[in-house]
Amino acid sequence: MMRNISLAITGVLIIMLTACSSDEGPMGENGAKDDFDREAMLVNWADNIILPRYENYNQKVGILSRAVGIFSKEISQAHLESLRMAWLEAYMAWQPVASFEIGKAEELRLRNFTNVYPADVENIEENITEGTYNLSLSSKFDEQGFPALDYLLFGLADSDERLLAKFSEEDSDNGYTRYLVDITARLQSLTQQVLDDWKGGYRDVFIGNNGTSGTSSVNKIANDFLFYYEKALRANKVGIPAGQFSSGPRSEFAEAFYNGATSKALLLASLDAVQSFFNGEHHGGTGFGPGFGSYLDVLSTSKDGEQLSKRINDQFDRARSEADLLNPDLATQVGEDNTKMLKTFDELQKNVVLMKVDMFQALNIRVDFVDADGD
Amino acid sequence: MTTVRNCSLLIAFSCLSFFACDSDDTIAIDPVITPEIETPAQYTFERNGASTVSFSGQTTRIKMASELIDLMKDFDAMNKGNLLEFFRNDQQAPEDMYPYSDESLNTSTKSVKSKVAASQDFFSANSVESAEIKDQFEAWIVAQVDEVKPQEDIAAIAGTAGQIADGTSTRYVTGKGLEPNQLVNKGLIGALMVDQMLNNYLSTAVLDDAASGDGTNREKNDAGTVEEGKNYTAMEHKWDEAYGYLYGTSEDLSKPNATIGKDDDFLNKYMGRVEGDADFTGIAERVFNAFKLGRAAIVAKDYAVRDEQATIIRKAVSEIIAIRAVYYLQQAKASLTMETPDYGAAFHGLSEGYGFIYSLRFTRKSDSNAPYFVASEVDDLLKQLMEDGDNGLWDVKEATLDVISNAIADKFDFTVAQAGSTN
Repeated sequence: MMRNISLAITGVLIIMLTACSSDEGPMGENGAKDDFDREAMLVNWADNIILPRYENYNQKVGILSRAVGIFSKEISQAHLESLRMAWLEAYMAWQPVASFEIGKAEELRLRNFTNVYPADVENIEENITEGTYNLSLSSKFDEQGFPALDYLLFGLADSDERLLAKFSEEDSDNGYTRYLVDITARLQSLTQQVLDDWKGGYRDVFIGNNGTSGTSSVNKIANDFLFYYEKALRANKVGIPAGQFSSGPRSEFAEAFYNGATSKALLLASLDAVQSFFNGEHHGGTGFGPGFGSYLDVLSTSKDGEQLSKRINDQFDRARSEADLLNPDLATQVGEDNTKMLKTFDELQKNVVLMKVDMFQALNIRVDFVDADGD
Repeated sequence: MTTVRNCSLLIAFSCLSFFACDSDDTIAIDPVITPEIETPAQYTFERNGASTVSFSGQTTRIKMASELIDLMKDFDAMNKGNLLEFFRNDQQAPEDMYPYSDESLNTSTKSVKSKVAASQDFFSANSVESAEIKDQFEAWIVAQVDEVKPQEDIAAIAGTAGQIADGTSTRYVTGKGLEPNQLVNKGLIGALMVDQMLNNYLSTAVLDDAASGDGTNREKNDAGTVEEGKNYTAMEHKWDEAYGYLYGTSEDLSKPNATIGKDDDFLNKYMGRVEGDADFTGIAERVFNAFKLGRAAIVAKDYAVRDEQATIIRKAVSEIIAIRAVYYLQQAKASLTMETPDYGAAFHGLSEGYGFIYSLRFTRKSDSNAPYFVASEVDDLLKQLMEDGDNGLWDVKEATLDVISNAIADKFDFTVAQAGSTN
C-alpha cells in the first residue's frame, strides 16, 4: 500500500517537475526541440577552441621539455632562468585546457596528473632519494606535474646557488635532475596522447555525439566546465587558500606556491579561458562562434528582466575586477589581507549559482557531479 | 525563478498529500495524548543545582573508534598489533604497547569491541551471532594489513588488491574492490552506535527492568533514588547513554544540532548528511526533540511519553542507515554508467554502501523487537552485491544496484529517488 502511494506520488512529482522545467527548457512548451544547432556549437568548440588550445599547450610543454633537456646537460643559472620561463608559459597554457576532462583526458586523468597542489614535498624527496617511483599511480598525483616542477625549480633551496648545487651533486646520475626529466617527460607524454586522440578521430566522435542525453558532448562539456569552475578555479585557486573550507587561511595551498609570484596570473588566465569558452570565443581571440552564451540567447533566457548571458558575463567581469586587486602571489595576499581573497571568492561564487541553477536549468542539463563526501 | 518557486510549492502540496496518505494507514482516532511535559530547549537536566547528564563512556568509545579508523588509513603506522589493540583495548597504560594518540583514552578500560553487537534486546541471548559479528570486524581489520597494505603501490585490477583513483583521492581496495576501512567505519555505525542506542539504551528492558542494588530502574526512578555516588538515576543515565552515541563528540553537548554532521565520522556525520538532503530536512530536529522530551519524561516519571520518543528515535535513526545505503548504491551506479566508468569513485561509494547495508541488521522497527532486515536478509543483500561475477564489485551490474536499492527502500517510507541524491 505504502509503496503504491509512494510510486504514485513520485509519478506525480516527476510530471510536475517536467511540466515546470519545460517552461524554460530547450524542449519548448509543446515538447518540440529548440532551434539551437548543437552540432554547430560542438564544431566551434572542437575546431576553434579545444584543439587550438591543446595545440598551444602541447607546444609550450614541448618548449619546456627542451629547456629541461638543455638544463640537465648543463646546469647553469642562465639555463635555469630559461627553464623557469618555459615552465611558466606552459603552466599558463595549461589553464585554458584544464576544464576539458573528456575523452582521452578523462581516461588518463589528465588534470589530476598535471596540476594537483600543494605538491607532496616529502614524498617527492623520498622518490628522488630512492630513485624508484611509479608515476602512473593515483597516489602520486601530487608528486608530479606543474606543482612538483614548481618545487624543483623554486623551492629546493633558499638561493639559486644552492638550488643549482642540488642538481649538480653527483654529476653522473643526479636524483634531482633525473626526477625533473622524468616528470617533464610524463607531462609531455600525457598532453601528446590527448592531442593525438583529438586529431586522430575523437573530434568526429565528439561532434557526432550531438544529442541531449546525459552522456552527450554538450552535457558532458557543460558539466566539465561547471565542475572546473566550481572546484578547480573557485575552490582550489581562491577558496581553499583563503580558508573558505577550513578553520583558517591556508596560504601554502596556493597554486605555484614556491614560485611565489604567479598565482594571480594563473587565476586570471583560468578565468579568462572560462569566460571566453562561455562566449564561444576562438582561441587567440580571432572571432566568436556558438557557445553557452549564444545558446542562452536563442532560448531568450533572462533573469530578473535581464539577459542571463549578460548577467553571467557581467559577473565574470566583477570577479575579474576583484581578482585584479590581488597581490601577484595569492599566498602573500592571504597573509596580508585575506578579505580581498574572500571578496574575489564571493564574486566567483555568484556565477556558480547563475550557471549551475539558471543556465543548467535553461539548457535542460543535469548536474552530474555531487560534492564529494570528503572522506 | 518564479517557475522554480512554483515547483517547490507543488512539491510541498504533494508532501501534504503524502502525509494524508500516511495517516490513512494509522487512522488517527486515538485520543491525542497531549504531553504535559514541555520539550526543553536544550539537553540540560539538573538535580539540586547540579547536572544529571552523563555519557562520557560513549564519547570515549567514539574517540577510540575514530582513532581506529584513522590508523586503518595510515599504512606506514599500522600493523595487526596496533589495529587490533585499538579495536579491543585490552591493554592499559602504562603497559599499553599501542597507546592511542589521545592520552585520555589510554587509562580507559572501555573498548569498541566489547560493545559491538552487544545490545540487550538483540544479542543478550544471541552470543553466537554477536561473536560472529565481532570476528567479522577483526577480519576486516586484518584484511587491511594482510591484503591491502602489501599492495599499496600497485594499481588495483579485477581480482588483485591495490590502489585506485577516485577524483584527486586514492582508494585502497581488496581484490574484490572493497575498502576494509570503510567496512569497519560504516559497519560500526550499525554494530556499535545504532545497536547500543536503539536496542540497548532505549530498550524498556534496559530502561525499566534492570536491577542494581535495591530495586529496578523504574522503581528507583519513581522514588527519585540516585545511583551511588552519582547525581542521576539509573534510568536517566541509560537514556543519556543513548544520546551520547549520536551527540557524544558535539561541540556543544547540550545543543548539538549547531554542528550536526561535523563532530565525528559515524552516526553524527550521517545524521548531518541526511539532514542536508532537502527530502529529509527536519530529521535532526525531530530526533533531538525526541531525546529532550524523552529525558524530560523520565524526570516527570511519564514512561508512556518516554517510550513514544524512543519510537520516534528508532524510526528516524533506522532511516538514516537505510537512506545512506541507498544513496551510495545509486551514486555508485552513476559512476559506473559513465562513458568512462569511474571504478574508483564507485568502489569507494559501494564500500560505504556495504557498511551501511551491513548496519541494517542493527536497525529497529518501531513496533516490534526486530530489525528492518534480519541477519539472513542482510547477508542476502550483500551476496547480491558481491556475486554478479568472480571479482565482486568489479563485476557488479547496474540492475543489481537497483534491485538492492528497491529492496531497502520498500521497507521504509522513502523512495530510491529521494535517497539516491542529495538534490
